[in-house]
Amino acid sequence: MEHMGIEPGRIHFSWVSSAESTKFVQVVNEVTEAVKALGPNNHFITKEAKVA
Amino acid sequence: MKVIKIDKKDWVGGLEKSRSAYRLVGPFKENGKQFPVFKELDKGQEPDLTTLNTVISPKSIVFPQSEVMFEYTTDEKSEDCNLLKRPEKNYSPCAVIGIRPYDAAAFLLVQKNFDTPDYRDPYWCDAYEACTFIGMAINNPDNTDFSTSTKSGPFDESGLDVLLVDMKDHFLAKVITDKGDAYLKAAGWTAKVDTDAAIKQIDEMKNKAEVKIASKISFDNIEKKSIMELYEADFWEDVAFACINCGTCTYLCPTCWCFDIQDENHGKSGKRFKNWDGCMFPLFTHHSSGHNPRGIKVMRVRQRFMHKLKYFLDKYEDGIMCVGCGRCTRFCPVNIDIRNVCKLMNS
Amino acid sequence: MLGYIDKIRQISKGLIEDKKVDMIIGFKKGTMPMMNEPCLVKSPKDVEKLVWDSNCGINLANYLTDRKERIGIIAKGCDSRNIVTHIIENKIKREQLVIIGVPCTGMIDKHRLTSMFEGEIEQVTEQNGNITIKGEDFEEILKKNDVLQQNCSVCIHRNPVVYDELVSDLVEEQDVDRYEDVRKIEAMPSEKKWNYFDDLLSTCIRCYACRNACPLCYCPTCFVDESRPQWVGKSDDSIDIRTFHFLRAYHCAGRCTDCGACERACPVGINMRMFTRKLEKDCFEQYGWEAGLSLDERPPLDTYKPEDPDDFIK
Repeated sequence: MEHMGIEPGRIHFSWVSSAESTKFVQVVNEVTEAVKALGPNNHFITKEAKVA
Repeated sequence: MKVIKIDKKDWVGGLEKSRSAYRLVGPFKENGKQFPVFKELDKGQEPDLTTLNTVISPKSIVFPQSEVMFEYTTDEKSEDCNLLKRPEKNYSPCAVIGIRPYDAAAFLLVQKNFDTPDYRDPYWCDAYEACTFIGMAINNPDNTDFSTSTKSGPFDESGLDVLLVDMKDHFLAKVITDKGDAYLKAAGWTAKVDTDAAIKQIDEMKNKAEVKIASKISFDNIEKKSIMELYEADFWEDVAFACINCGTCTYLCPTCWCFDIQDENHGKSGKRFKNWDGCMFPLFTHHSSGHNPRGIKVMRVRQRFMHKLKYFLDKYEDGIMCVGCGRCTRFCPVNIDIRNVCKLMNS
Repeated sequence: MLGYIDKIRQISKGLIEDKKVDMIIGFKKGTMPMMNEPCLVKSPKDVEKLVWDSNCGINLANYLTDRKERIGIIAKGCDSRNIVTHIIENKIKREQLVIIGVPCTGMIDKHRLTSMFEGEIEQVTEQNGNITIKGEDFEEILKKNDVLQQNCSVCIHRNPVVYDELVSDLVEEQDVDRYEDVRKIEAMPSEKKWNYFDDLLSTCIRCYACRNACPLCYCPTCFVDESRPQWVGKSDDSIDIRTFHFLRAYHCAGRCTDCGACERACPVGINMRMFTRKLEKDCFEQYGWEAGLSLDERPPLDTYKPEDPDDFIK
């Protein structure tokens, strides 16, 4: 995705066990902060097809 | 009948002048692109007349790959709720500059399908009627051109309003219709020349160009043979073997007219689209029951050639559904050659 | 490579006469310069149709999918790698095949040659590493190595990796930097990357020639053709076009051999390999994997190893 022009930081991978509630909170916080910092995504969004 | 002489130094000026009454469409090569495509020319952009056989045929001028048929909303608060509204589109006069004669003739074949006494496709017809076709005669036909075998040819006037012939330092413009005459006037090209002499000159060029075309096909026997004899012929497996069932031939073809209808919905509103489709794709004939009457490759390959060279011929009794532009042969990734298939069908 | 033809015909004829195979899949001479047509030969007299030159860029493994017959197939390096991939993905059985290996010195780039000359190319011949291009009013001799398809000029597996017969001695493999152009894109900022691919795909007409020329794309129903649910819009909207190319590339991750059939097949000359090659590079750098080299090893994306890289998981 990043190779194609989606900014680094918009895509996150994490492995959280069902027992790791604090890690889960931490991951969600980190993801939202990182994505908020990037601002709204303007790629790969199509409200309606643009055609000739 | 009259012929106008256009000095090449007056060419660009005339084009620009005509913009007051016409939108201009022509082949144009964008920066960094390998080949020109037909597009609406912005101010200052000139049609590229050097490579007239565009990879993608000019059919998209009147039959875009994707076109919105209508928009709708199911929002009860809107006054357009549950109405199907055809979108505004610019159908003001449009001059298509530098179209090849056989590509213009292709519109006449497509017209048989989109403009009939019973049914009239308003999108196609409105766009077609807005066009004035200023064609450029082909002095040097390419290797895959077999247009003289299809009732068309490098100087075919049937689909054109004006035929331009390149005489090196000037163009001779043969006026074919009133529409064409009106365009030339709008461009300020009015220098009449002696008609008989000019026609003689054009005919000479035409003969020279036609003689250069070495590819010939004939379909006299296809006409006589029964549909079932051709349908069940033993060569189809062989013809179809190499085919990868892509849509190159159908999408590049100036006479292929098939389309699919798709709705795209967003919340309470949406659009209905007409998108190019092609008989090479399995999905084209896939029934909602799951059954596919043309389920395997050989059936689809046969369909394309049978439609162009037999069904159309029988239905309209006015030649085949092909103008001989050679695009399908030239760009087929695996070199399936319609000239060879026609020969097999005709033998 | 012209010298291969007699040997190909001789081997093919023998295989058919000895009833070792039911058919040979190879190339016959095309009707256009720089084009040959894949063909099927079933009788000894028809082997004369078979040819070989630098215009055999279509990947013949594409014609093997789910066939039941015993088949002799002509295979250059990349074809053989895709045959291996076909075998490990159960699209054909090794026992069905007699692989006639062709050590390859690359295929010529017809898109590039066509755009190099203003006039129409009428004849292309090759001899001793030179290509002679003739048109109505020009004739030029070029070095074959200068007009190779880009994938061939960076190919490091020219020799077939698996074969039963060989039409000549093996050729020397190239020592080249395969990923210079991919690294250039990697170094771009995000917005530039996005625009690069936008421009790359701007002429796409969704004819699906790339997909259909690809031996990997054998899904009974491609995701773009699914209608229940429908994953991708069908119009020529640029996001839908990009979704097609991008997802198709993903489906080829760890499987693509960079045979170049997609790019060769494209009527409008799009280099969609810029998608697949990034994935190919990643597979090589992260898993040491090159697709289609061995019948005994499973691809990295359908196996798990404890040492698999996992830095991206936080």
